[in-house]
Amino acid sequence: MHTPMIHIENLNFQYKQGQDFALKDISLDIAKGEFVGIIGSSGAGKTSFTCALNGMIPHHYAGDFYGAVTINGMDTVEVKPVELSRFIGSVFQDVDAQMVATIVEDEILFGLENFQIPHEEIEERIQTALETIGISHLRNRTISTLSGGQKQKVAIAAMIALRPQLLILDEPTGELDPAGSRQIFEMLRILNQQYHMTIVIVEQKIMLLCEYVRRLLVFHEGRIEYDGQTRMVLEHKEELEKLGVNVPRMITLADTLKKRGCHIDTVPVSIAEAKKMVEEVLIHA
Amino acid sequence: MGGFLDYIQGTSFLHRLNPLTKLLIAFLLCVACFICDRHLFVLGIIVLNLLLAGVAGKEVLLRSLNMLRALVKFSAFLFVIQILFVREGTALLHLPFGLVITDRGLSFSLLFVLRLFAATMPIGLMLSVTRMSDLSNVLVEKVGIPYQYTFALTTTLRFIPLFSQEMAGIMEAQTARGVEFDTKNFFKKIRLLMPLCVPLLISSVKKIDGAAVSTELRGFHLRNRNSGYKKYCLKGADAAALAMMACIMTCAVIL
Repeated sequence: MHTPMIHIENLNFQYKQGQDFALKDISLDIAKGEFVGIIGSSGAGKTSFTCALNGMIPHHYAGDFYGAVTINGMDTVEVKPVELSRFIGSVFQDVDAQMVATIVEDEILFGLENFQIPHEEIEERIQTALETIGISHLRNRTISTLSGGQKQKVAIAAMIALRPQLLILDEPTGELDPAGSRQIFEMLRILNQQYHMTIVIVEQKIMLLCEYVRRLLVFHEGRIEYDGQTRMVLEHKEELEKLGVNVPRMITLADTLKKRGCHIDTVPVSIAEAKKMVEEVLIHA
Repeated sequence: MGGFLDYIQGTSFLHRLNPLTKLLIAFLLCVACFICDRHLFVLGIIVLNLLLAGVAGKEVLLRSLNMLRALVKFSAFLFVIQILFVREGTALLHLPFGLVITDRGLSFSLLFVLRLFAATMPIGLMLSVTRMSDLSNVLVEKVGIPYQYTFALTTTLRFIPLFSQEMAGIMEAQTARGVEFDTKNFFKKIRLLMPLCVPLLISSVKKIDGAAVSTELRGFHLRNRNSGYKKYCLKGADAAALAMMACIMTCAVIL
Protein backbone atom coordinates (compact mmCIF):
# COMPACT_ATOMS: atom_id res chain seq x y z
CA MET A 1 0.00 0.00 0.00
CA HIS A 2 1.18 3.53 -0.73
CA THR A 3 1.93 5.75 2.21
CA PRO A 4 -0.89 8.28 2.50
CA MET A 5 -0.15 11.98 2.06
CA ILE A 6 -1.66 12.75 5.44
CA HIS A 7 -1.94 10.28 8.26
CA ILE A 8 -3.40 11.44 11.57
CA GLU A 9 -3.77 9.28 14.64
CA ASN A 10 -5.76 10.35 17.69
CA LEU A 11 -4.83 13.99 17.39
CA ASN A 12 -5.84 16.14 20.34
CA PHE A 13 -4.67 19.70 20.68
CA GLN A 14 -5.28 22.46 23.18
CA TYR A 15 -3.90 25.98 22.74
CA LYS A 16 -1.88 27.28 25.65
CA GLN A 17 -4.51 29.78 26.74
CA GLY A 18 -7.40 27.68 25.43
CA GLN A 19 -10.32 26.70 27.64
CA ASP A 20 -10.98 23.49 25.80
CA PHE A 21 -9.31 21.25 23.24
CA ALA A 22 -9.41 22.87 19.82
CA LEU A 23 -9.00 19.49 18.10
CA LYS A 24 -10.38 16.29 19.59
CA ASP A 25 -9.77 12.63 18.70
CA ILE A 26 -8.97 13.21 15.08
CA SER A 27 -7.88 10.19 13.09
CA LEU A 28 -7.87 10.07 9.34
CA ASP A 29 -5.92 9.29 6.21
CA ILE A 30 -5.80 11.45 3.12
CA ALA A 31 -4.29 9.73 0.11
CA LYS A 32 -2.10 11.40 -2.52
CA GLY A 33 -4.17 13.19 -5.12
CA GLU A 34 -7.31 13.61 -3.04
CA PHE A 35 -9.40 16.79 -3.14
CA VAL A 36 -10.87 17.28 0.33
CA GLY A 37 -13.26 19.97 1.49
CA ILE A 38 -13.75 21.05 5.09
CA ILE A 39 -16.87 22.73 6.41
CA GLY A 40 -18.17 23.58 9.85
CA SER A 41 -19.45 26.51 11.86
CA SER A 42 -17.00 29.09 13.11
CA GLY A 43 -14.88 27.92 16.02
CA ALA A 44 -15.25 24.31 14.91
CA GLY A 45 -11.51 23.80 14.58
CA LYS A 46 -11.13 24.09 10.83
CA THR A 47 -8.29 26.59 10.91
CA SER A 48 -6.60 24.73 13.77
CA PHE A 49 -6.76 21.60 11.65
CA THR A 50 -5.01 23.29 8.74
CA CYS A 51 -2.35 24.55 11.15
CA ALA A 52 -1.82 21.01 12.37
CA LEU A 53 -1.17 19.94 8.79
CA ASN A 54 1.48 22.52 7.95
CA GLY A 55 3.31 22.16 11.25
CA MET A 56 2.33 25.54 12.68
CA ILE A 57 0.73 23.43 15.39
CA PRO A 58 2.72 22.61 17.51
CA HIS A 59 5.76 24.63 16.32
CA HIS A 60 4.36 28.13 16.13
CA TYR A 61 1.24 27.84 18.28
CA ALA A 62 2.27 26.21 21.53
CA GLY A 63 -0.05 24.01 23.51
CA ASP A 64 -0.76 20.44 24.54
CA PHE A 65 -0.34 18.12 21.62
CA TYR A 66 -1.34 14.46 21.77
CA GLY A 67 -1.34 11.91 18.99
CA ALA A 68 0.58 11.97 15.74
CA VAL A 69 0.36 13.82 12.45
CA THR A 70 2.44 12.34 9.66
CA ILE A 71 2.72 14.17 6.36
CA ASN A 72 4.38 12.33 3.51
CA GLY A 73 5.97 10.02 6.07
CA MET A 74 7.32 12.87 8.23
CA ASP A 75 6.19 13.40 11.79
CA THR A 76 5.22 17.07 12.14
CA VAL A 77 6.44 17.19 15.73
CA GLU A 78 9.95 16.08 14.79
CA VAL A 79 10.35 17.97 11.55
CA LYS A 80 10.54 21.76 11.38
CA PRO A 81 7.79 23.61 9.53
CA VAL A 82 10.38 24.81 7.01
CA GLU A 83 11.10 21.23 5.98
CA LEU A 84 7.40 20.57 5.62
CA SER A 85 6.93 23.73 3.62
CA ARG A 86 9.18 22.31 0.91
CA PHE A 87 6.22 20.29 -0.28
CA ILE A 88 3.25 21.90 1.45
CA GLY A 89 1.76 25.15 0.23
CA SER A 90 -0.49 27.06 2.64
CA VAL A 91 -2.84 29.91 1.79
CA PHE A 92 -4.33 31.70 4.77
CA GLN A 93 -7.45 33.72 5.49
CA ASP A 94 -5.83 37.09 6.10
CA VAL A 95 -4.47 38.13 2.74
CA ASP A 96 -2.81 41.34 3.89
CA ALA A 97 -0.78 39.56 6.52
CA GLN A 98 0.61 36.93 4.17
CA MET A 99 1.96 39.37 1.61
CA VAL A 100 5.67 40.00 1.97
CA ALA A 101 6.45 42.24 -0.99
CA THR A 102 5.20 45.50 -2.45
CA ILE A 103 4.97 44.24 -6.03
CA VAL A 104 3.13 41.18 -7.31
CA GLU A 105 6.17 39.80 -9.10
CA ASP A 106 8.32 40.05 -5.96
CA GLU A 107 5.62 38.35 -3.94
CA ILE A 108 5.85 35.30 -6.18
CA LEU A 109 9.64 35.52 -6.32
CA PHE A 110 9.93 35.44 -2.53
CA GLY A 111 9.20 31.74 -2.09
CA LEU A 112 11.07 30.75 -5.25
CA GLU A 113 14.20 32.57 -4.11
CA ASN A 114 14.01 31.17 -0.60
CA PHE A 115 13.74 27.59 -1.74
CA GLN A 116 16.60 28.24 -4.16
CA ILE A 117 14.81 27.20 -7.29
CA PRO A 118 17.39 27.31 -10.11
CA HIS A 119 17.37 30.77 -11.64
CA GLU A 120 16.78 29.45 -15.18
CA GLU A 121 13.50 27.96 -14.03
CA ILE A 122 12.18 30.97 -12.17
CA GLU A 123 10.85 33.06 -15.06
CA GLU A 124 8.86 30.14 -16.44
CA ARG A 125 7.42 29.34 -13.03
CA ILE A 126 6.28 32.91 -12.44
CA GLN A 127 4.62 33.05 -15.84
CA THR A 128 2.86 29.71 -15.46
CA ALA A 129 1.61 30.55 -11.99
CA LEU A 130 0.24 33.92 -13.11
CA GLU A 131 -1.37 32.40 -16.19
CA THR A 132 -2.97 29.54 -14.25
CA ILE A 133 -4.67 32.02 -11.93
CA GLY A 134 -5.37 34.42 -14.78
CA ILE A 135 -3.58 37.44 -13.35
CA SER A 136 -0.71 37.94 -15.81
CA HIS A 137 -1.80 41.55 -16.24
CA LEU A 138 -1.19 42.24 -12.54
CA ARG A 139 2.46 41.20 -12.61
CA ASN A 140 3.96 44.67 -12.14
CA ARG A 141 1.22 46.13 -9.97
CA THR A 142 1.77 47.39 -6.44
CA ILE A 143 0.01 45.00 -4.07
CA SER A 144 -1.50 47.73 -1.88
CA THR A 145 -3.48 49.00 -4.88
CA LEU A 146 -5.14 45.63 -5.55
CA SER A 147 -8.64 44.64 -4.45
CA GLY A 148 -9.15 41.96 -1.79
CA GLY A 149 -10.02 39.36 -4.41
CA GLN A 150 -7.00 40.17 -6.53
CA LYS A 151 -4.77 39.86 -3.47
CA GLN A 152 -6.20 36.43 -2.77
CA LYS A 153 -5.37 35.38 -6.29
CA VAL A 154 -1.83 36.66 -5.86
CA ALA A 155 -1.49 34.68 -2.62
CA ILE A 156 -2.59 31.50 -4.39
CA ALA A 157 -0.33 32.18 -7.38
CA ALA A 158 2.63 32.60 -5.02
CA MET A 159 1.93 29.15 -3.62
CA ILE A 160 1.34 27.47 -6.96
CA ALA A 161 4.66 28.75 -8.27
CA LEU A 162 6.31 26.60 -5.60
CA ARG A 163 4.55 23.52 -7.03
CA PRO A 164 3.73 21.92 -3.69
CA GLN A 165 2.52 18.33 -3.49
CA LEU A 166 -0.03 19.30 -0.87
CA LEU A 167 -1.97 22.54 -1.05
CA ILE A 168 -3.82 23.74 2.05
CA LEU A 169 -6.24 26.62 1.63
CA ASP A 170 -8.12 28.33 4.45
CA GLU A 171 -11.12 30.15 3.00
CA PRO A 172 -9.28 31.34 -0.10
CA THR A 173 -12.38 32.83 -1.71
CA GLY A 174 -13.51 34.92 1.26
CA GLU A 175 -13.18 38.19 -0.59
CA LEU A 176 -14.03 36.99 -4.07
CA ASP A 177 -17.29 37.41 -5.96
CA PRO A 178 -19.16 34.29 -7.13
CA ALA A 179 -17.49 34.30 -10.55
CA GLY A 180 -14.04 34.75 -9.04
CA SER A 181 -14.65 31.99 -6.49
CA ARG A 182 -15.70 29.57 -9.23
CA GLN A 183 -12.59 30.48 -11.18
CA ILE A 184 -10.43 29.55 -8.20
CA PHE A 185 -12.18 26.22 -7.83
CA GLU A 186 -11.83 25.48 -11.55
CA MET A 187 -8.15 26.15 -11.23
CA LEU A 188 -7.89 23.91 -8.17
CA ARG A 189 -9.60 21.16 -10.14
CA ILE A 190 -6.99 21.47 -12.87
CA LEU A 191 -4.16 21.37 -10.33
CA ASN A 192 -5.74 18.32 -8.74
CA GLN A 193 -6.44 16.39 -11.92
CA GLN A 194 -3.48 17.31 -14.13
CA TYR A 195 -0.75 17.72 -11.55
CA HIS A 196 -2.15 15.28 -8.98
CA MET A 197 -1.77 17.88 -6.30
CA THR A 198 -3.40 16.87 -3.01
CA ILE A 199 -5.72 19.68 -1.97
CA VAL A 200 -7.32 20.36 1.41
CA ILE A 201 -9.63 23.36 1.41
CA VAL A 202 -11.68 25.06 4.13
CA GLU A 203 -14.60 26.89 2.58
CA GLN A 204 -17.81 28.56 3.69
CA LYS A 205 -19.39 28.53 0.24
CA ILE A 206 -20.64 25.01 0.69
CA MET A 207 -22.59 24.82 -2.56
CA LEU A 208 -19.50 25.58 -4.61
CA LEU A 209 -17.35 23.32 -2.48
CA CYS A 210 -19.64 20.32 -2.91
CA GLU A 211 -19.52 20.64 -6.65
CA TYR A 212 -15.76 20.24 -6.76
CA VAL A 213 -14.51 18.14 -3.87
CA ARG A 214 -14.92 14.40 -3.74
CA ARG A 215 -14.55 14.07 -0.02
CA LEU A 216 -16.06 16.23 2.68
CA LEU A 217 -15.11 16.63 6.34
CA VAL A 218 -17.58 18.27 8.71
CA PHE A 219 -16.04 19.77 11.83
CA HIS A 220 -17.93 20.54 14.99
CA GLU A 221 -16.43 21.65 18.28
CA GLY A 222 -13.05 20.22 17.40
CA ARG A 223 -14.30 16.84 16.25
CA ILE A 224 -14.82 15.43 12.80
CA GLU A 225 -18.53 14.63 12.80
CA TYR A 226 -18.72 13.40 9.22
CA ASP A 227 -16.06 12.17 6.87
CA GLY A 228 -16.91 10.63 3.56
CA GLN A 229 -17.86 11.09 -0.05
CA THR A 230 -19.50 14.47 -0.55
CA ARG A 231 -22.79 12.89 -1.54
CA MET A 232 -22.87 10.53 1.43
CA VAL A 233 -22.21 13.34 3.89
CA LEU A 234 -24.90 15.54 2.37
CA GLU A 235 -27.50 12.79 2.90
CA HIS A 236 -27.47 13.83 6.56
CA LYS A 237 -29.23 17.11 5.97
CA GLU A 238 -30.93 17.49 9.32
CA GLU A 239 -27.93 16.49 11.38
CA LEU A 240 -25.78 18.93 9.43
CA GLU A 241 -28.18 21.77 10.08
CA LYS A 242 -28.06 20.99 13.78
CA LEU A 243 -24.28 21.41 13.60
CA GLY A 244 -24.75 24.89 12.18
CA VAL A 245 -23.88 23.97 8.60
CA ASN A 246 -25.95 25.63 5.90
CA VAL A 247 -26.60 22.84 3.45
CA PRO A 248 -27.01 23.83 -0.21
CA ARG A 249 -30.56 24.66 -1.23
CA MET A 250 -30.71 21.79 -3.70
CA ILE A 251 -30.20 19.42 -0.76
CA THR A 252 -33.08 21.08 1.07
CA LEU A 253 -35.16 20.72 -2.08
CA ALA A 254 -34.32 17.02 -2.40
CA ASP A 255 -35.12 16.50 1.26
CA THR A 256 -38.48 18.27 1.00
CA LEU A 257 -39.40 16.29 -2.11
CA LYS A 258 -38.48 13.06 -0.36
CA LYS A 259 -40.66 13.94 2.62
CA ARG A 260 -43.57 14.73 0.30
CA GLY A 261 -43.32 11.17 -1.01
CA CYS A 262 -41.29 11.61 -4.19
CA HIS A 263 -38.78 8.97 -5.05
CA ILE A 264 -35.23 10.35 -4.88
CA ASP A 265 -32.27 8.01 -5.43
CA THR A 266 -29.38 10.20 -4.40
CA VAL A 267 -28.99 13.79 -3.36
CA PRO A 268 -27.70 16.13 -6.07
CA VAL A 269 -24.32 17.78 -5.66
CA SER A 270 -24.40 20.09 -8.67
CA ILE A 271 -26.89 22.30 -10.47
CA ALA A 272 -27.01 19.89 -13.40
CA GLU A 273 -27.87 16.98 -11.10
CA ALA A 274 -30.48 19.06 -9.30
CA LYS A 275 -32.08 19.90 -12.64
CA LYS A 276 -32.15 16.25 -13.62
CA MET A 277 -33.69 15.34 -10.28
CA VAL A 278 -36.48 17.90 -10.65
CA GLU A 279 -37.16 16.78 -14.21
CA GLU A 280 -37.47 13.14 -13.15
CA VAL A 281 -39.79 14.03 -10.30
CA LEU A 282 -41.96 16.03 -12.72
CA ILE A 283 -42.09 13.15 -15.21
CA HIS A 284 -43.20 10.70 -12.52
CA ALA A 285 -45.75 13.11 -11.09
CA MET B 1 -2.34 58.68 -4.18
CA GLY B 2 0.12 57.04 -1.85
CA GLY B 3 2.55 58.46 0.65
CA PHE B 4 5.43 60.69 -0.25
CA LEU B 5 7.87 57.78 0.01
CA ASP B 6 6.06 55.59 -2.52
CA TYR B 7 7.68 54.53 -5.74
CA ILE B 8 6.56 56.35 -8.87
CA GLN B 9 6.71 54.14 -11.93
CA GLY B 10 8.80 55.32 -14.83
CA THR B 11 11.53 54.47 -17.32
CA SER B 12 13.71 57.57 -17.07
CA PHE B 13 17.49 57.63 -16.73
CA LEU B 14 17.11 57.90 -12.96
CA HIS B 15 14.74 54.95 -12.77
CA ARG B 16 17.20 52.77 -14.63
CA LEU B 17 20.23 53.63 -12.53
CA ASN B 18 21.46 51.01 -10.11
CA PRO B 19 19.68 51.42 -6.75
CA LEU B 20 23.04 51.43 -5.03
CA THR B 21 24.24 54.34 -7.17
CA LYS B 22 21.11 56.27 -6.35
CA LEU B 23 21.44 55.62 -2.66
CA LEU B 24 25.06 56.68 -2.69
CA ILE B 25 24.37 59.86 -4.66
CA ALA B 26 21.47 60.83 -2.40
CA PHE B 27 23.64 60.36 0.64
CA LEU B 28 26.60 62.24 -0.82
CA LEU B 29 24.39 65.15 -1.90
CA CYS B 30 23.27 65.50 1.71
CA VAL B 31 26.84 65.37 2.93
CA ALA B 32 27.96 67.86 0.28
CA CYS B 33 25.57 70.56 1.40
CA PHE B 34 26.84 70.25 4.96
CA ILE B 35 30.51 70.34 3.97
CA CYS B 36 30.20 73.52 1.93
CA ASP B 37 28.95 76.68 3.60
CA ARG B 38 28.32 78.78 0.53
CA HIS B 39 24.72 79.77 -0.05
CA LEU B 40 25.01 79.58 -3.81
CA PHE B 41 26.41 76.06 -3.73
CA VAL B 42 23.58 74.80 -1.52
CA LEU B 43 21.08 76.62 -3.70
CA GLY B 44 22.74 74.91 -6.67
CA ILE B 45 22.09 71.52 -5.09
CA ILE B 46 18.43 72.39 -4.65
CA VAL B 47 18.25 73.37 -8.32
CA LEU B 48 20.08 70.17 -9.27
CA ASN B 49 17.52 68.17 -7.29
CA LEU B 50 14.66 69.84 -9.11
CA LEU B 51 16.37 69.24 -12.44
CA LEU B 52 16.83 65.56 -11.63
CA ALA B 53 13.21 65.34 -10.54
CA GLY B 54 12.27 66.94 -13.86
CA VAL B 55 14.28 64.32 -15.73
CA ALA B 56 12.54 61.55 -13.78
CA GLY B 57 9.11 62.69 -14.88
CA LYS B 58 6.32 65.13 -14.27
CA GLU B 59 4.91 63.27 -11.30
CA VAL B 60 8.25 63.13 -9.52
CA LEU B 61 8.81 66.85 -10.11
CA LEU B 62 5.35 67.63 -8.74
CA ARG B 63 6.07 65.61 -5.65
CA SER B 64 9.41 67.37 -5.13
CA LEU B 65 7.70 70.74 -5.40
CA ASN B 66 5.02 69.61 -2.96
CA MET B 67 7.72 68.54 -0.58
CA LEU B 68 9.37 71.95 -0.86
CA ARG B 69 6.03 73.61 -0.19
CA ALA B 70 5.47 71.47 2.88
CA LEU B 71 8.93 72.36 4.14
CA VAL B 72 8.44 76.11 3.69
CA LYS B 73 6.25 76.54 6.80
CA PHE B 74 8.54 74.54 8.99
CA SER B 75 11.68 76.23 7.75
CA ALA B 76 10.14 79.70 8.10
CA PHE B 77 9.62 78.91 11.76
CA LEU B 78 13.21 77.72 12.15
CA PHE B 79 14.45 80.73 10.23
CA VAL B 80 12.77 83.17 12.62
CA ILE B 81 14.06 81.34 15.67
CA GLN B 82 17.59 81.18 14.31
CA ILE B 83 17.75 84.77 13.24
CA LEU B 84 16.64 86.03 16.66
CA PHE B 85 19.17 83.97 18.57
CA VAL B 86 22.35 84.73 16.68
CA ARG B 87 23.74 87.91 18.23
CA GLU B 88 27.20 88.12 16.64
CA GLY B 89 28.08 90.40 13.75
CA THR B 90 26.89 93.86 12.84
CA ALA B 91 23.40 94.73 13.85
CA LEU B 92 21.06 95.38 10.97
CA LEU B 93 17.84 95.93 12.87
CA HIS B 94 16.93 96.45 16.49
CA LEU B 95 13.73 94.92 17.75
CA PRO B 96 11.84 95.38 21.03
CA PHE B 97 12.77 93.20 24.07
CA GLY B 98 16.45 93.66 23.26
CA LEU B 99 16.31 91.33 20.27
CA VAL B 100 18.55 92.12 17.37
CA ILE B 101 18.99 90.92 13.80
CA THR B 102 22.61 90.81 12.64
CA ASP B 103 24.20 90.20 9.24
CA ARG B 104 25.83 87.00 10.52
CA GLY B 105 22.50 85.84 11.85
CA LEU B 106 20.80 86.48 8.54
CA SER B 107 23.46 84.67 6.58
CA PHE B 108 23.58 81.75 8.97
CA SER B 109 19.80 81.32 9.13
CA LEU B 110 19.51 81.47 5.37
CA LEU B 111 22.17 78.79 4.98
CA PHE B 112 20.46 76.69 7.62
CA VAL B 113 17.14 76.75 5.83
CA LEU B 114 18.71 76.14 2.43
CA ARG B 115 20.54 73.13 3.85
CA LEU B 116 17.30 71.81 5.27
CA PHE B 117 15.78 71.93 1.78
CA ALA B 118 18.81 70.57 0.01
CA ALA B 119 19.38 67.70 2.40
CA THR B 120 15.82 66.39 2.56
CA MET B 121 15.13 66.43 -1.15
CA PRO B 122 17.64 63.84 -2.43
CA ILE B 123 16.34 61.10 -0.11
CA GLY B 124 12.74 61.75 -1.10
CA LEU B 125 13.72 61.85 -4.74
CA MET B 126 15.71 58.64 -4.47
CA LEU B 127 12.78 56.79 -2.88
CA SER B 128 10.43 58.11 -5.56
CA VAL B 129 12.45 56.58 -8.37
CA THR B 130 13.62 53.38 -6.65
CA ARG B 131 11.55 50.37 -5.72
CA MET B 132 11.94 49.53 -2.06
CA SER B 133 12.44 45.87 -2.97
CA ASP B 134 15.23 46.72 -5.43
CA LEU B 135 16.92 48.81 -2.81
CA SER B 136 16.80 46.06 -0.21
CA ASN B 137 17.88 43.40 -2.73
CA VAL B 138 20.90 45.42 -3.77
CA LEU B 139 21.86 46.08 -0.16
CA VAL B 140 21.83 42.34 0.45
CA GLU B 141 23.64 41.40 -2.73
CA LYS B 142 26.26 44.13 -3.02
CA VAL B 143 26.72 45.47 0.49
CA GLY B 144 26.16 42.19 2.31
CA ILE B 145 23.63 43.41 4.84
CA PRO B 146 21.79 40.35 6.20
CA TYR B 147 18.45 39.82 4.51
CA GLN B 148 16.64 39.79 7.84
CA TYR B 149 17.46 43.46 8.43
CA THR B 150 16.43 44.75 5.03
CA PHE B 151 13.34 42.57 5.25
CA ALA B 152 12.43 44.13 8.59
CA LEU B 153 12.85 47.58 7.06
CA THR B 154 10.73 46.93 3.98
CA THR B 155 8.09 45.18 6.07
CA THR B 156 7.86 48.13 8.42
CA LEU B 157 7.35 50.50 5.51
CA ARG B 158 4.77 48.14 4.02
CA PHE B 159 2.80 47.86 7.25
CA ILE B 160 2.46 51.62 7.82
CA PRO B 161 -0.37 52.10 5.30
CA LEU B 162 -2.03 48.89 6.52
CA PHE B 163 -2.09 50.19 10.07
CA SER B 164 -3.34 53.61 9.10
CA GLN B 165 -6.12 51.88 7.17
CA GLU B 166 -6.93 49.82 10.21
CA MET B 167 -6.96 52.93 12.40
CA ALA B 168 -9.25 54.73 9.96
CA GLY B 169 -11.55 51.71 10.06
CA ILE B 170 -11.71 51.69 13.85
CA MET B 171 -12.30 55.45 13.92
CA GLU B 172 -15.10 55.22 11.38
CA ALA B 173 -16.75 52.47 13.38
CA GLN B 174 -16.54 54.58 16.54
CA THR B 175 -17.78 57.71 14.75
CA ALA B 176 -20.79 55.74 13.55
CA ARG B 177 -21.52 54.95 17.19
CA GLY B 178 -21.47 58.62 18.06
CA VAL B 179 -17.90 59.26 19.20
CA GLU B 180 -16.98 62.81 18.28
CA PHE B 181 -13.81 62.30 16.24
CA ASP B 182 -14.64 65.26 14.05
CA THR B 183 -14.24 67.65 16.97
CA LYS B 184 -12.20 70.78 16.36
CA ASN B 185 -10.64 70.59 19.81
CA PHE B 186 -7.24 68.99 19.37
CA PHE B 187 -6.84 67.84 22.99
CA LYS B 188 -10.28 66.35 23.09
CA LYS B 189 -9.49 64.43 19.91
CA ILE B 190 -6.29 63.08 21.41
CA ARG B 191 -8.19 61.99 24.52
CA LEU B 192 -10.73 60.18 22.36
CA LEU B 193 -8.00 58.51 20.33
CA MET B 194 -6.08 57.09 23.29
CA PRO B 195 -8.43 54.15 24.01
CA LEU B 196 -8.25 53.12 20.34
CA CYS B 197 -4.58 52.32 20.64
CA VAL B 198 -5.38 49.04 22.36
CA PRO B 199 -7.55 47.53 19.61
CA LEU B 200 -5.08 48.81 17.04
CA LEU B 201 -2.21 47.19 18.89
CA ILE B 202 -4.05 43.89 19.17
CA SER B 203 -4.97 43.76 15.51
CA SER B 204 -1.42 44.78 14.56
CA VAL B 205 0.13 42.04 16.62
CA LYS B 206 -2.27 39.55 15.04
CA LYS B 207 -1.35 40.74 11.57
CA ILE B 208 2.35 40.56 12.28
CA ASP B 209 1.96 37.07 13.68
CA GLY B 210 0.17 36.06 10.49
CA ALA B 211 2.96 37.58 8.44
CA ALA B 212 5.57 35.69 10.46
CA VAL B 213 3.80 32.39 9.89
CA SER B 214 3.44 33.07 6.21
CA THR B 215 7.09 34.00 5.70
CA GLU B 216 8.26 31.02 7.71
CA LEU B 217 6.17 28.66 5.63
CA ARG B 218 7.70 30.11 2.52
CA GLY B 219 11.23 29.30 3.51
CA PHE B 220 12.36 32.61 4.98
CA HIS B 221 15.04 30.89 7.05
CA LEU B 222 16.51 29.12 4.06
CA ARG B 223 17.36 32.35 2.32
CA ASN B 224 20.94 33.47 1.90
CA ARG B 225 22.86 36.20 0.15
CA ASN B 226 22.83 34.47 -3.22
CA SER B 227 19.13 33.65 -3.22
CA GLY B 228 18.14 36.85 -5.04
CA TYR B 229 16.89 36.26 -8.57
CA LYS B 230 17.35 39.78 -9.84
CA LYS B 231 20.92 40.82 -10.36
CA TYR B 232 21.98 44.43 -10.14
CA CYS B 233 25.01 45.16 -12.28
CA LEU B 234 26.76 48.50 -12.24
CA LYS B 235 26.71 49.89 -15.77
CA GLY B 236 28.39 52.74 -17.64
CA ALA B 237 25.57 55.09 -16.71
CA ASP B 238 26.22 54.37 -13.05
CA ALA B 239 29.91 55.12 -13.46
CA ALA B 240 29.10 58.40 -15.20
CA ALA B 241 26.62 59.40 -12.49
CA LEU B 242 29.12 58.56 -9.77
CA ALA B 243 31.84 60.53 -11.56
CA MET B 244 29.53 63.53 -11.67
CA MET B 245 28.88 63.11 -7.99
CA ALA B 246 32.61 62.97 -7.32
CA CYS B 247 32.99 66.34 -9.12
CA ILE B 248 30.26 67.86 -6.97
CA MET B 249 31.92 66.49 -3.87
CA THR B 250 35.27 67.97 -4.85
CA CYS B 251 33.65 71.34 -5.45
CA ALA B 252 32.04 71.14 -2.05
CA VAL B 253 35.36 70.49 -0.38
CA ILE B 254 37.31 73.14 -2.30
CA LEU B 255 34.73 75.92 -1.95
